[in-house]
Amino acid sequence: MPEKKPKKSELDVAKSFAELESIAEWFEQGESDLDVGLKKYERAMELAEVLRERLEHAENKITEIQKKHSNS
Amino acid sequence: MTVFSVTDFIAHINDVLARSWDAEELCVEGEVSGFRVSQGQWVNFDLKDDQGLVNIFMTVWQLRVPVEDGMKVRVFGTPRIYPKFGKFSITANRVELVGEGALKKALAALKARLEAEGLFDPSRKRALPVFPNRIALIASRESAAYGDFIRIINERWRGLEIHTYHVKVQGMGADEDIVKAIQAANARSASGSDEYDALVITRGGGSLEEMMAFNSELIVRAIHSSKIPTLVGIGHERDLSLAELAADVRGSTPTDCARRLVPDRIDVLRDLAHHTEKIENQLLETISSKKELIKRALRAPALWLSVQRQQLEQLASRAESNVQQWLKTLSDRLRNHVRLLASLDPKGVLNRGYAILRSTSGKTLTSVAGLSVGQPITIVLRDGEADARLEQIRQANKAKQQKLL
Repeated sequence: MPEKKPKKSELDVAKSFAELESIAEWFEQGESDLDVGLKKYERAMELAEVLRERLEHAENKITEIQKKHSNS
Repeated sequence: MTVFSVTDFIAHINDVLARSWDAEELCVEGEVSGFRVSQGQWVNFDLKDDQGLVNIFMTVWQLRVPVEDGMKVRVFGTPRIYPKFGKFSITANRVELVGEGALKKALAALKARLEAEGLFDPSRKRALPVFPNRIALIASRESAAYGDFIRIINERWRGLEIHTYHVKVQGMGADEDIVKAIQAANARSASGSDEYDALVITRGGGSLEEMMAFNSELIVRAIHSSKIPTLVGIGHERDLSLAELAADVRGSTPTDCARRLVPDRIDVLRDLAHHTEKIENQLLETISSKKELIKRALRAPALWLSVQRQQLEQLASRAESNVQQWLKTLSDRLRNHVRLLASLDPKGVLNRGYAILRSTSGKTLTSVAGLSVGQPITIVLRDGEADARLEQIRQANKAKQQKLL
C-alpha cells in the first residue's frame, strides 16, 4: 500500500484531533512541569480553535470530476 | 447487370447488414444450445427458439456472464457472414441473461467463484479513516441516492472535499462506466494531486436486473484492487450485491453510507469541549499546586521563627520559676540559720535567768579551777553588769558530776 503523503496548507482533522487527545492524556498523567504544561496548553487551545472553526463554519466542497474519454 | 465476386458479395451483404442493424439498440433473444469454448478464447453457441436458429460467435473476454445450454439470453452484436466458410452468425459483443431465475443462478455461480478466489475475504478489509478530508464519490448525479448522501454529509460534517464521478448506475455500459470511475479516482489519488481518504460508490435500490451492474465481475475486481479504502452502499436490497461484498465497508443505504463515512460533528464538538475543559482544569490544578508550594515555602521561615520564639519563652519561664524556687530555698535556709543562731545567742540564756561570770580581764569563767577567794568578778545579767567578790569556792564532786551528765 502506498504511504500517505501529508497535505500542505490543509487542516488534517484526524491528525489535529489525535494531537489534542495526546495533550489531554499528557495532562491526565499528572505531569507537573509548568513551563511544558503552558506550552502544551497553548497548543491545545490553538488546535481546538482551528478544529471548532472547521466543524462550525467550513463548507463541504463538491467538485465534479469530468470523465476523460481517452481513459482506458 | 452487376456481377459480384464471392468475396465482394459477402463484403456487400455484410456492409448492408452493418448499416441496417443498430448494434446498440437491437438484440436477439433465444435459448442457448451447443455452448462451447475453443482454444480458451473463442465462444461459440447456437441461439434458438421454436422455429429458428442462429449461430453466435464471440471472445471469452466479452462474455461476462456464465452461460450454459438451456439458458435464455439476449445477444448484442453484429450479424455477418464469415467469408471463409460462408457461415452466417452474429458476432456478439455482449450477452445478457434473461429472467430472474437465470440471473440468480448466474449470480450464485459468480459469487462462489469470486469468493473462492478470496475477493470477499473479511481479513483484508480496511477501516475507513475517522475524519476523512477528501473523498471520491461514484454515483449518478441525478439519483436520489446522490442527493441523500450529500444531504446527510452536510447535516453531519463540515469541510469535507467531495469529488464526484458521475456514472451510469444501470443499463448497458454501467459496469464499465463505474469501473472507469474507480480506476480514474485511484489514478488521481495515486498521482498525489488529490489524495482520497475513501472511495464511495452508492445507488438507490432497484430490481435485480437493474442492480446487475453491481454484480459484475469487473466491478468486483476494480473494488478489490482499489488502493483507496472503499465504501459501497446500495439501497434497500434484500440480497447483497457482489460490489458490496467486495467493499471494505458496506452501508445499507446511501444515507447509511454517509453516516459511516463521517462522524456527527455535534459529537466531535462535544469531545473537543471535553478535551479542552480537561486540559484547562489540569493546568489550573498544576498552577494552584505550584502556588500552594510557594505559599508554603514563604510560610516556613516565619513558622520557624515563631517556634524558636516559643521555645525561648518556655525556657525563660522555666528559668524564672527555677530561680524563684532557688531563692525560696535559700531564704528558708537563711531563716533556719538565723533561728539557730538566735537560739545560740547567750543573751537569750540571760533572759531565762542565767548569768555570765567574767574575770576582771574580761575572760568568761566556766570553771572553779583557778579561782581564788576574794577575787573580783563581774556578773553579767540580762540588763546590766554587777561587780562582786568571791567568798567561798566549792568544787563539785567529779564523780557525781559525771553521773549527772
